Amino acid sequence: MRYSDCNKTLRENVMKSYELASASQEKLNAVVTFADVEKQIEETIQDETLPLYGKPVAVKDNISTKGIRTTASSRILDNYVPVFDAAVVEKLKAAGATIICKTSMDELGMGGTNLNAYTGKVNNPYDLSRISGGSSGGSAALVAAGVVPMALGTDTGDSIRKPASYCGVVGFKPTYGRISRYGVIPYASSLDHVGFFTTCVEDACVTLKCLAGRDDRDMTSSYEPVGEYDKNLNSDLNGKKIAVLDNVLSSIKDERIVNEFHQLMKKLEDRGAVIVHVTMDENLLQTLLPVYLIIANAEACANHSNLDGVRFGMREEGNDLEEIMINSRTKGFSSAVRKRFVLGSYSLFTENQEKLFRKAQKVRRVIVDSYTSILKDCDCIVAPAAATVAPHENDSVDEKMSDTYLVAENHMILGNMAGTPSLTLPYTFIDGLPVGVNVSAKAFDEQTVLNVAKAIEEETQLEGKCAEV
Amino acid sequence: MEYETIIGIEIHCELKTKTKMFSSGRAEFGQAPNSCASEVDLGLPGTLPCLNEHGVELALRACMGTHCEIDPLLKFDRKNYYYSDLPKGFQITQQFHPIGRNGYVEIDTENGKKKIRLNRIHMEEDTAKQFHTGSNTLIDFNRAGTPLIEIVSEPDMRCGKEAAAYVEQLKNMLYYMGVSDCKMEEGSMRCDVNVSLRPCGSDTFGTKTEIKNLNSIANVQKAIDYETMRQKELLEAGKQVDQETRRFDEATRTTVLMRKKEGNVDYKFFPEPNIFPIQLSEEWIDHIRQTLPELPEKRKEKYMNVYGLSEYDANTLTSVKELSDFYDEVVTQTDEYKLACNWCTVEMMAYLNKENIKLVNNPLSSAHLADMINMVAKGEISGKQAKTVFEEMMKGKDPRKVVEEKGMKQLSDPEAIRALVIKVLDNNPNAINDFKNGKDRAVGALIGQVMKLSRGTANPAMASQIMNEELKKR
Repeated sequence: MRYSDCNKTLRENVMKSYELASASQEKLNAVVTFADVEKQIEETIQDETLPLYGKPVAVKDNISTKGIRTTASSRILDNYVPVFDAAVVEKLKAAGATIICKTSMDELGMGGTNLNAYTGKVNNPYDLSRISGGSSGGSAALVAAGVVPMALGTDTGDSIRKPASYCGVVGFKPTYGRISRYGVIPYASSLDHVGFFTTCVEDACVTLKCLAGRDDRDMTSSYEPVGEYDKNLNSDLNGKKIAVLDNVLSSIKDERIVNEFHQLMKKLEDRGAVIVHVTMDENLLQTLLPVYLIIANAEACANHSNLDGVRFGMREEGNDLEEIMINSRTKGFSSAVRKRFVLGSYSLFTENQEKLFRKAQKVRRVIVDSYTSILKDCDCIVAPAAATVAPHENDSVDEKMSDTYLVAENHMILGNMAGTPSLTLPYTFIDGLPVGVNVSAKAFDEQTVLNVAKAIEEETQLEGKCAEV
Repeated sequence: MEYETIIGIEIHCELKTKTKMFSSGRAEFGQAPNSCASEVDLGLPGTLPCLNEHGVELALRACMGTHCEIDPLLKFDRKNYYYSDLPKGFQITQQFHPIGRNGYVEIDTENGKKKIRLNRIHMEEDTAKQFHTGSNTLIDFNRAGTPLIEIVSEPDMRCGKEAAAYVEQLKNMLYYMGVSDCKMEEGSMRCDVNVSLRPCGSDTFGTKTEIKNLNSIANVQKAIDYETMRQKELLEAGKQVDQETRRFDEATRTTVLMRKKEGNVDYKFFPEPNIFPIQLSEEWIDHIRQTLPELPEKRKEKYMNVYGLSEYDANTLTSVKELSDFYDEVVTQTDEYKLACNWCTVEMMAYLNKENIKLVNNPLSSAHLADMINMVAKGEISGKQAKTVFEEMMKGKDPRKVVEEKGMKQLSDPEAIRALVIKVLDNNPNAINDFKNGKDRAVGALIGQVMKLSRGTANPAMASQIMNEELKKR
């Protein structure tokens, strides 16, 4: 469903999406909380000239929505109703959009499968036995299933771009600081990005224009002027230098994914693009995942120290304060999350900090320098977004995937470490399942990402493509 | 054995900002509980810190006032621990890069001036306030996120008196600079004191105890004096001092054990990812330096060297900032510096104390006081009349109007005074004899009669001069 498909009255558009979401819930399990749709319609700004007026949207459940339960798919926040809207939600409302539901995710954003959600697995709209990917799995699935034209997500280590690949939709994470993080329940502050899913590049342009911009409540948000992404959208690739990250291709075992990718590059070349092949130090790329995990978990264990059962959220009783906190956190978090907290805490201990956390930060710097030096010499970097189509639940244990495809499965973390804009869109279907290509560019060069994505979309003819659910 | 006491002090000082250190929540003391706590102060999920620029400015003032080296690259860190008064589960502080380092404060001791070195000044946020009621704990988040600076001294003090002088000096300075209210009783300035003993001549430190949350300067001294005695007794009895945290009990004037230190807690400090390092511009720092409020030392210097006041007077004026501020206003309108000082420090303060009025609510206008002082100096009214005028001025009246209404103009006509003098002398032949027999005191009594006869309006200096002239004629 594209924005342009929402062409009836506000109420008709919203009710249609709401009904689709309700009808698909049993199959997809993508929704955590349905909004009071009448109230949302009532509160929508009545101004047809607004860019998102009459567009029903879904919001990932780690993004604060005033008056709508926001759990981040964690038991500890099961009863948490924010008293304020996240900056992006304010922006959506100001642009005229209507929120219909909150979407499932890996608990607190920790995971890449959406299997680690308090409300259970989210099913892939193209094959319900497969996973949606995560952590923004619910949002990806709803957009892929044609329920809403746009859903918000967050991306700490490819959490928008991987599910976008598995679900066959456009998933965009712009530059760090481009969209305010205020009101977004964090995973890892230095890696967290807010982004979104759409079914076409044009809708991505419109959405970005609505969400981007400086917010004084987020000191890391940028003063860089917001572009006219939709008006400036231009798929002319003549003379554009596109770098293919060869390390990714060489680590993918499915030849069909590799061959289809090369064919796509051939088409872009025919449109006038200059395709170059680049290789990053393989050893450096192999450090991506461990470096990411150390930094992300360290920040996460501090970020989530506020979830203690004392002031809000779920409380397990105890004889004293310490016991209340321990009981609440033990029962409130899944074991996967607690494991990450332990690892994060371990790397911050005084005796470990230098050789783990600080070292990881230094390696991150080396990785980013290497990556941005490649970006300096080209317009964008492209690579398949995943090594496989969406896996089945049993094949998709995070560790297992990463062992087999360390580089191919984790290369998009480069965009989180460097904070550079990065977009995934479908480029082919294999056995009826989508596979995504990732396009990344220099910081704040969102326009190039969108332009190249538009050219790809014109070649693939997958604009607006949705699954029948 | 003789022991030497080693004292180091950590002071937490709330900055006088309108809003919190990292949020737009109001920072105001004495409001209804939990009425000054924003979503950020409550640590609600998804909230982010936003640095208070005025807070940084005040921290810079403190650094400048204490001669610290300033780090123009601001960086913040997280201090992680779980407690109910810490809503985020971490405190944002400056562990690795304090804004100020290597400063000093100069204090007066019996042996002259002494420099107390500062190790660091860093910015951080305050915790919430807890109230323990039986088995329950109530939390007031109004204080959560309030801007603080922590001022850490080197262990340079050697007795309770020095420590008290150090806190006094720092308190006065921070107050003058508008950095803080420095109300120890309200907790906007809190002292933690580290005390240890060592044999005289030794250059290693003994085991220290920390006395927490001293709420007055007097208690700083009392607590240290007691703790010194306690530790000395332990050492003399061959026992050892344990590293522990103690508090001062006002009722018994002793220090009481709070908790033993069981190794150090690992706070897992790491850089705050939500605040990028901030480069302060040289221009901004210079601007703050140039617009720094005048320090008490500077004022004292001015009072003594320019206005010719005594050190005692200068100290009295500068001991209370509002008094000194008022005096400064008065002397922009009169050149009678000493007279102005007397009126401010004696009459005005006595009146305010008697009426229980705070200096900030002083009803006296500096212009009125200066006007009256000028009238006295010019001999237009007598000192005695001035006291009556003063009483009226404190009720808001214009001194010139009072003088007019009460017909108080001073008698300064020499011939009129001479007439009064002659009349007095004629009526007191015995007093003249006394004078001639060398009893100088007789003159005073005679002048007193002149004043009485003039109903206090005669210019006393002229009356005295004319009296002497007339006496010699007899």
